[in-house]
Amino acid sequence: MWYKIIQIAEWFGEMADRIKLIRDFNAAARYSFIGGFADTLLEAKITRGDSSYRHAFSKFMGGGFRIKTLSGTHMARFELIEVGQVILSNEMLIRKLISLGWDTLEVQDEFGAIGCKWALKDHAHIRGILPG
Amino acid sequence: MKDVLFSQQIDFILMKDIVPVCDINNIWFWLSIIEFIVIAYFSYKLLRKKKNIMFLDLTNDNLKESRNADIDMNSIMDSINQSRDLYVKLCSLCHPDRFVNTSKEKIAEEIFQEISRNKRNFKELSLLKTRATIELDVEM
Repeated sequence: MWYKIIQIAEWFGEMADRIKLIRDFNAAARYSFIGGFADTLLEAKITRGDSSYRHAFSKFMGGGFRIKTLSGTHMARFELIEVGQVILSNEMLIRKLISLGWDTLEVQDEFGAIGCKWALKDHAHIRGILPG
Repeated sequence: MKDVLFSQQIDFILMKDIVPVCDINNIWFWLSIIEFIVIAYFSYKLLRKKKNIMFLDLTNDNLKESRNADIDMNSIMDSINQSRDLYVKLCSLCHPDRFVNTSKEKIAEEIFQEISRNKRNFKELSLLKTRATIELDVEM
């Protein structure tokens, strides 16, 4: 019984962490756009993700971490790839994303016409750092 | 008298009410077989998928450290927006070929390797920029 209650509390904690991460990302993107450091405003949101990229911690119907360009300068395909590569090069962030239930990283332009996606599990190197 | 009536009733049931369990011409028989095959196929697929799934041996406790890690989002935004330009600039200024046959050749090689390693990390590139300015005497 207590175990179930702890599990439910953990689930809510995890959801709060997910929302906090998204909110932090969006706030940082907004500040850099307003401050003039960024030419394009980015926005992160939770999507369904790709089922073929699933892992043991994937959230049902919420495994996708989508970064979308909102306004400002139009981004070319190589720029979208560059945004994705910056995220993937940050191992700490990737590990956090995986542990919070994301499995797919998606970067999309404002109309959804061009987009790229990566499987987070391919870029995690989790076994090298964590015990077990 | 009672026994005789009971035995007659049993005979009556045996003779009239028993229908064959498996009738090949019955449509419900074939439907149930198809249903069974579909369920078996999906169960097999699910089991196979579970076997192939990654990080299945890790528990939530293993990931607690990663979950509680502090991520500096401003640094990530800087990396997204400015790291590429700074990388190109540093590559051209600190390339070891510019320091051939000088005392700074080795330092330039070292810095260039570091720059390549931290290609998409603005924070590290900024530190390398400062180092290059001091050690290689390059003007940014």
